[in-house]
Amino acid sequence: MADRTANVTWTGSLMEGSGTIQSVDSGAFGPLDVSWAARTEDHEGLTSPEELIAAAHAACFSMALSNDLAQAGSPPDRLETSATVTFVPGTGITKSALTVRGLVPGMDEAAFVEAAEGAKENCPVSKALASVPEITLDASLL
Amino acid sequence: MPRIVREAHVSWEGTAARGSGVVSASSSGAFELPFTIASRIGNPEGKTSPEELLAAAHASCFVTSLGGELARAGTPPQHLDVHCTITMDEVEGKGHRIVSSAIAARGTASGADAATFAQAAEAADAGCPFSALIKASATVTINATLEGGT
Repeated sequence: MADRTANVTWTGSLMEGSGTIQSVDSGAFGPLDVSWAARTEDHEGLTSPEELIAAAHAACFSMALSNDLAQAGSPPDRLETSATVTFVPGTGITKSALTVRGLVPGMDEAAFVEAAEGAKENCPVSKALASVPEITLDASLL
Repeated sequence: MPRIVREAHVSWEGTAARGSGVVSASSSGAFELPFTIASRIGNPEGKTSPEELLAAAHASCFVTSLGGELARAGTPPQHLDVHCTITMDEVEGKGHRIVSSAIAARGTASGADAATFAQAAEAADAGCPFSALIKASATVTINATLEGGT
C-alpha cells in the first residue's frame, strides 16, 4: 500500500485569493502557487489541478507501459509521453489525451501500439480517471 | 464555454523495475521531477509519484471549491488549510488501484459557524471536478474543521 499526502493553503476569496501547494510527503516539490485566474486563464507560470492530473497520468501510463514492454521481452530504451487534460468550468474535466513515442529495440509498431493501448486501459491513474468522458491515445515508435 | 488545457510531459528510460522517469509541467514550467517505481511503491526517498501528484491535484482543486462555497454562503474564508492523502493498494484480481482520497480541511471564515463550514465542505466536494471524477472508482472522505469558530 502506498499513501501520498499533499498540503495546500488558501488565503482570501476564490477570484482574488491565492493558494499554495505548501509541501508533499516526499519533499519532491513545493511550495507551488496556484490561483483561479492562473487555472482558468493564462497560467503565468503557475501549476493547476489539471496540470498535476496530466503529470500523474503521464507518469503512471509510462510506468505501466515500460512494465508491459519488459514483460513482453522488449524493454524500452526510452518513452516520451505527454498528457493533456482539458477542463471546462461548470462541466468538469472532459478529456485526457495521451501521446507516447517509444524507442523499443526489437518491437514493431503494431505490437507497440497494442501494448500502449493496454497500459492506457490498465494503469492505476487511468482506472481512477475512468469517469473522464474521453481518454485518447496516440502511440508510435520513435 | 472556455476550454482550459494543461499539459505535462514524461521522459522515461528503461524498464519499470530498474528505469526512471522525469515528469515536467509542460504548460506552466512550474516543476520538473524525477520518479521511479521503487519510490512510488516504497519509501519516496525525495521523489514524487503519480499518487502524490494526484494528492496535490485534489487538495488544490478542493481548496478552490471550498473557498468558492464559503464566499457564496456569505462567509468568505480568511485562511484554508487542506491535506489530501491518496492511497494506492493492491486489490485482489485487479492489481494496483487508487482506492481512496482523504481530505482534511481546516480554516477560518468570517461569520461562519461549524455547521456552515461543514455544509460548505460538502458542497465543495460535490463541486470539485476532481472529487467528482475519482468518486467513480475510489472512496472520497472529507473531514472539515472550522478553527476558532462558534
